Amino acid sequence: MSRATLFSLHLRRVLFALLLGTALPALAQVLRIDSALSATGDGDAFPLNATTQRVALPDGWTASRPGESGPVWYRVTFQAPPSRTGSELDALYVEQVCSNLQVYLNGQLVHSGGRMDAPLTNNCSHPQLVALPTALLARGLNTIDIKVSGHRLAEVGSRARSGALSLLRIGPESALAGRYSRQTTLNIALPQAVGATLLLMGSFMFVLGFINRRESHLAYFGALSVGWALTDARLWFHTLPVSNAVVEFLLCSMLAFITLASVQFLLRYARWRHALIDRCLPLQCALMPLTLVLAGPGRLHAVASVWHVVFAAEVVAAASFYLRTQWRARSRNFWLMSSMLSAVALAALVEFIAERSGERPLVAHLAQLVTPVMFVVVGLRLVQQHGRALQDAELGKAHLEQRVRDATAEIERNFRQLADLRVEQVTERERKRIAADLHDDLGAKLLTIVHTSESERISTLAREALEEMRLSVRGLTGKPVKLADALGDWRAEVVSRLAQAGINADWLAPEDLPQTLSARAYVQSTRILREATSNIIKHSGASNCSVTCRVDEGDFQLIVQDNGEGISLEVDGRLDRGHGMASMKHRAKQLQGQCLVESGPGYGTVIRLTIPLDRAIEAQA
Amino acid sequence: MKNILLLEDLPEIRAWLRKLVLQVFPDAQISESARVHDAVSLVQAVKFDLALIDLGLPDGSGVDVVTKLRDIQPEAQSVVVTIHDDDEHLFPALQAGAFGYILKEQPRELITEQLQRISQGEPPLSPSIARRVMAYFSAKAKPQASSLPHVSLTDRESEVLLRVAKGYTLPEIGVQLGLSRHTIADYVKQIYRKLNVSSRAEAALEAQRLGLFR
Repeated sequence: MSRATLFSLHLRRVLFALLLGTALPALAQVLRIDSALSATGDGDAFPLNATTQRVALPDGWTASRPGESGPVWYRVTFQAPPSRTGSELDALYVEQVCSNLQVYLNGQLVHSGGRMDAPLTNNCSHPQLVALPTALLARGLNTIDIKVSGHRLAEVGSRARSGALSLLRIGPESALAGRYSRQTTLNIALPQAVGATLLLMGSFMFVLGFINRRESHLAYFGALSVGWALTDARLWFHTLPVSNAVVEFLLCSMLAFITLASVQFLLRYARWRHALIDRCLPLQCALMPLTLVLAGPGRLHAVASVWHVVFAAEVVAAASFYLRTQWRARSRNFWLMSSMLSAVALAALVEFIAERSGERPLVAHLAQLVTPVMFVVVGLRLVQQHGRALQDAELGKAHLEQRVRDATAEIERNFRQLADLRVEQVTERERKRIAADLHDDLGAKLLTIVHTSESERISTLAREALEEMRLSVRGLTGKPVKLADALGDWRAEVVSRLAQAGINADWLAPEDLPQTLSARAYVQSTRILREATSNIIKHSGASNCSVTCRVDEGDFQLIVQDNGEGISLEVDGRLDRGHGMASMKHRAKQLQGQCLVESGPGYGTVIRLTIPLDRAIEAQA
Repeated sequence: MKNILLLEDLPEIRAWLRKLVLQVFPDAQISESARVHDAVSLVQAVKFDLALIDLGLPDGSGVDVVTKLRDIQPEAQSVVVTIHDDDEHLFPALQAGAFGYILKEQPRELITEQLQRISQGEPPLSPSIARRVMAYFSAKAKPQASSLPHVSLTDRESEVLLRVAKGYTLPEIGVQLGLSRHTIADYVKQIYRKLNVSSRAEAALEAQRLGLFR
């Protein structure tokens, strides 16, 4: 036994001890058998007449009898411990046998793993626990014959599937059952669970990637996972109704598809694709089975080994390419994926060494699980990325929709403003047209009357009509007038008219008034003031007139006071009829204001015009 | 003796204006016209001292005649005689070089007085026109005017304009500033002149911008 094997044995014991502290005392009672008498023969009993040789266990046929395909008989003898004849059942534990075995105790068949001729039952991964019936156990020396059927290395793709028999252990069943169940869990249950997970996840991702063509790497990863899970599907079936050659052919061919899927996944995940690769990989998938068929079942291992090297090189190249692009892109994927890939590579290395050495320490079993577990982890990561991208896309979409809504609202608002503006422009233009028409037509005719009428009274009436018309036109075209500007206009008119009539005028008004008058209020106030001025010039006989303007709590007040004769009741009636004292009042009322006339013979006249400014502003709107 | 152009399309008003002008200038030589086209021909043929120009005419605007007169007879005084009292109509005529305006519907006495004043170099200026002129010059004080010939109002001229805008009469302003009536009238004349010069410069600049002149 080499030092390495010894070391691994010790390691295994320690690990087991750590795993199950209670197992340690039982070990002492277990008989470990590491050599056996072996002979080739296909009978129902150990071929005593054939040449026998003593072989060390574990015995791999590749090493001990290369080219032979069995069946091979192994004989071991052991001394039944006297203390163990009581209630406890003894058992034989075979950790690994490939492919199948039958166990004979003292010449009696006590166990069969399944079919012993083609198609053989495959028990390569299934540990065997064989109960040794107490009735058959002799006191003293007992003989156990084990018939093993298997395949030569040349017929199988992997060393792990060529004929072999592991160490044997004999001891109380209770002591071996723990070992058996542990091994079963490790070899069968865990890979089955992981395989099933991988199959489900892989199918899901394949569908996801297939639907979403821009995420084709998902489809390839799904295919990879499903392919890997399928190669492990063997664990579910002991016996297949087809020959070993067919099964091995299918398993080896599957590797070509797994290689295609993993290489494409790595490249697509790095966002890179090439037409040549897209074409060559499927070609390889067709070429590999073809070479296997051409070589025949006898040379399967040799041909498959060559292909394995090619596949490994392809996957390593794709992985390096992927990692390089991620490193350059400083992607966070780099660290995750590089650790995953290193783990897978390490596991592959451990498995390779274990296969070569023929030993299968615990670490080799664990290594077998690493790759599918890593696939599950990477798969989850991919789904997470996909989900996050989907979420981002949703968010982006929502954001975009919001922006579109905002833009639409903005456009609608602008359109409304534009429409309003247009209506305003059209209205303004129409007003100006009407104003111009009035001026040019009605104005010109009234003017002709003013200057050609023989009657002074008709001239005056026409002039007044003309003035009315102009004020109305101004009201039509009118924008709001600043109160300060209005006062300027009124002052210029009133003061110069009074001055021409030889009446002294005092004008009192505050400076810098920020308020505005609507065009209507301006026009009406102008008429009232003009009327008042005319009355003073024509009827009052005053020598002095004062005009006072005030802005008081939203009211605009204009007080016109003269020192004339005043208006007697009798004259008042006449004035009202002929000179529009009533129309002054009426106009003020239209503006929600009032016009008060205080007068008495000899006291002069005071006209108080009050217009609420805020309502004047309202009227403009 | 004065050579006077009378442009008015309504025959009655034209006859009335003619009578009025003859009252103020008894020995005047009056050329009458009812169309812009005829008036422009007259301006090219006869030298005028004074032109009374209506704005709204059947074949165009009197402003064109004002412009023509300003171009070929700069010493002739154009006076706008109009029914439009609003600055919207008057301002373009003043920019074109009109030297004051008379509102047609005013009583005869007032018009004769204004004619006399204008002929003596004392043009009328209403508060709304004054405000318009102020706005025009203050807008021109902005950057694009920097390339224009230096035409801006003096402080005194601005002061007069401001007071007119507030409704003070020219004699009142004279008293307030301690200046004679004639000096104030000179300021007003100067304002009209600057308005015209500046407007013309601006128009030339605009034409240059549009590529009408090289």
